[in-house]
Amino acid sequence: MTRVLTLWKHGVKTGLLGGLITVLLSLMGMVEAFSQRQIVSDILSMDQSLLGGAVVFMAYFAAKRTTSSHPLWVVINSLTCGFVTAGMLMLLLLIGHVINLRSVFVNASPVLYQLLSFGHGFETALLLFVAAPLCGLFAGILYLLPSAFRKTLIVSLACIVGAGVLQDLLRPTLAAWESLAGLAEWIFSSNGLTEKGAAVLFIPIASITLFWSLKGETVQAGFKTLPSKGQKAIRWAGIAVLIMILLVLPQVLGLFLSEVMTIVGLYVLLGLGLNIVLGYAGLFDLGYVAFFAIGAYVTGVLTSPELGFFNLTFWQALPFAVVMGILAGVLLGIPVLKMRGDYLAIATLGFGEIIRILVLSDFLRPWLGGAQGIGKIPKASIAGFEFGMPQEIYYLILAGCALVIFVSLRLRDSRLGRAWKAVREDEDVAQAMGINLVATKLLAFGTGAGFSALSGAIFATKLTSVYPHSMNVMISINVVCIIIVGGMGSIPGVIVGAIALVGLPELLREFAEYRLFVYGLALVVMMLVRPEGLWPEAVRRREFHEEQFTEENDAPAPAAAASR
Amino acid sequence: MAVLLSSRKTTKRFGGLVAVDELDVEIKEKSIHSIIGPNGAGKTTFFNCVTGFYRPEEGEILLNSHSLVGLMPDQIVRLGIARTYQNIRLFPILTAMENVLVGLHCHLRANYFGILANLPSTRKEEKMAAEEASRLLKFVNMAGKGDLFAKNLPYGEQRRLEIARALATRPKLLLLDEPTAGMNPSETQTMMDFIRHLRDELGITILLIEHQMRVVMGISETVTVLDYGKKIAEGTPEEIKKNPLVIEAYLGKGSVAEAQGAAA
Repeated sequence: MTRVLTLWKHGVKTGLLGGLITVLLSLMGMVEAFSQRQIVSDILSMDQSLLGGAVVFMAYFAAKRTTSSHPLWVVINSLTCGFVTAGMLMLLLLIGHVINLRSVFVNASPVLYQLLSFGHGFETALLLFVAAPLCGLFAGILYLLPSAFRKTLIVSLACIVGAGVLQDLLRPTLAAWESLAGLAEWIFSSNGLTEKGAAVLFIPIASITLFWSLKGETVQAGFKTLPSKGQKAIRWAGIAVLIMILLVLPQVLGLFLSEVMTIVGLYVLLGLGLNIVLGYAGLFDLGYVAFFAIGAYVTGVLTSPELGFFNLTFWQALPFAVVMGILAGVLLGIPVLKMRGDYLAIATLGFGEIIRILVLSDFLRPWLGGAQGIGKIPKASIAGFEFGMPQEIYYLILAGCALVIFVSLRLRDSRLGRAWKAVREDEDVAQAMGINLVATKLLAFGTGAGFSALSGAIFATKLTSVYPHSMNVMISINVVCIIIVGGMGSIPGVIVGAIALVGLPELLREFAEYRLFVYGLALVVMMLVRPEGLWPEAVRRREFHEEQFTEENDAPAPAAAASR
Repeated sequence: MAVLLSSRKTTKRFGGLVAVDELDVEIKEKSIHSIIGPNGAGKTTFFNCVTGFYRPEEGEILLNSHSLVGLMPDQIVRLGIARTYQNIRLFPILTAMENVLVGLHCHLRANYFGILANLPSTRKEEKMAAEEASRLLKFVNMAGKGDLFAKNLPYGEQRRLEIARALATRPKLLLLDEPTAGMNPSETQTMMDFIRHLRDELGITILLIEHQMRVVMGISETVTVLDYGKKIAEGTPEEIKKNPLVIEAYLGKGSVAEAQGAAA
């Protein structure tokens, strides 16, 4: 009996937790807000996929934590988890029926109850006890499947949900191409994917993922057996294709998506710059926005006819902006050279605020514009071509990103990159190995600040104006989050992180209320499930997932001299 | 033989505690010199003074009659003093290869712009550094392990990797802080052979902190004994073994007579 209870425990526990989560999502108003959108027309709406997804997630955990490896117990636990979750939701419905919860929970509306009870009050609410355990069962089966199939299912379902969520963007983008307009009509209905569309999306995605997870290693091994010239050629071809895609992308995507891409691009630029400071050298700089502000304001002051000091062009002002950024980075670096970790974070945080308050101050108003900021900053132009529209500014940002990627790659595997990494790992020992801490740290601060200033300068010409309030601490925090979620020290990680944390919220503006909630959730889940980041450096991935080296060949005698 | 490192009345205090008290030591070129003493005798503090982590309040430390006091650790390592640590301090999430390459840092010349431009001189230097690093890994019997994380290496290899990293700085004087700590007798023996080999083949002077008497007596030419920061004895291992002050420091008063009785 007790054995049964211990085996059952996790199902009940995670079920209660899952219940809490689903109730929370409901009372926060997310369920109601999401109910307007259909993922698959008339079959699956976004709120259902949100709640269902939460149940599947929790039930998967229940299955994973089952102490018995017997498949029956795994399924029982995940089913139980679903059942308990349904019970909690039912409880919410009952309480909501008896007491008016709205005085405390504004979102506990009749619409919410209707959604939770599948439309028709308590008779259909019992369907919860079918739907949630079904989600649980699905999670249990998912857990028991071989990993290749599990990956396939998760990826293809995620793709379908993604396509459904982003339908408003994908449909017009597809429809803009005459030859694809028919396809767009066929895949998307007026709200959500069509059933056929969903199936059509599912099959190719699933087969590609399945092929890759089953045969990926063979393909990679095959690639490795190629002569190194062949490998190089294929790699360069891949990079060339990627560059071509990046170059034509804004023409294909249209105005809105290009605008989103410029915002993501600016954050990529910021992120890659901070990546040198934080990811490589391990210096926790929370005042990174200061250099962004300096870049933007130097550009503004030097170019804006509104102030009328210099009236330089953007290109003439850019070097000054970047150099000022680097100087500021070095100057800030000097007083904090001796600080480590949290102390450094607090000191730099203060520096960021100082810059923001300075540009906001009335004292500097004649030079920096005070709260009104600086307007009429000219657009950048080359030989008559003006970078005005988002599609055009995109290229400016792309060039900036290419530059910072180039610099990062070159520095990473060099003498300096190693010195940075050594400082990150152990400052004292790094110094004892002959690394000049002052020079090394200041180079990191300066390089990072330079890219931040570059980003700021482009930001100024993009908006043609700069305001103090766009230089707030949230930018620094966003950039740090991007690096952490993407993967410390990883260049593709920063790009993926920026897309996930900046791009997606821009695309889902209508759910902007929940942006910070999702941010926090993403950080917590990432730290628990994938602490190394979405796309970590190869080396860092090993750190978290290859502990087996330690067990291997323990201590053969330190015979060195003898063998020589 | 010429004197490589000499300490003259070196004193290091922490508040009221005198960790190293007017220490006079001379380390001869190409010798193996041990410093022993009970826990808290000031051995590691002395190491820290030599390598520039601490600045002694009084006295002088000279390397080839060039004063080290007031220099930063990175300047001192360039002058030819390298060290290892009592509790191994590798760069844990750098590979073994990268650890050794960091040791080579002060012998590489590439600067920021040279690296960005990927100048031929930078490329050549990197290639040579990689060759030297793999040679050093081979030297400490770790060929082929360059790609593993330092923290994932077995204990013995971590010790050897730390020595390889120190050797990469091309030292004249190598300071080893308890190199055989936590090793079994056979591992200890190979480490002793290895230390001797360092001196004989590479001509490196070795200064050693050690607790295992078998090691101290087996390989050192000179032994200095510290107690409460003061030098209480110095001499060949044989002289030290018989010194009543040393026996007292290690075993307490009254044990001197016993030990001598036992010896007789």
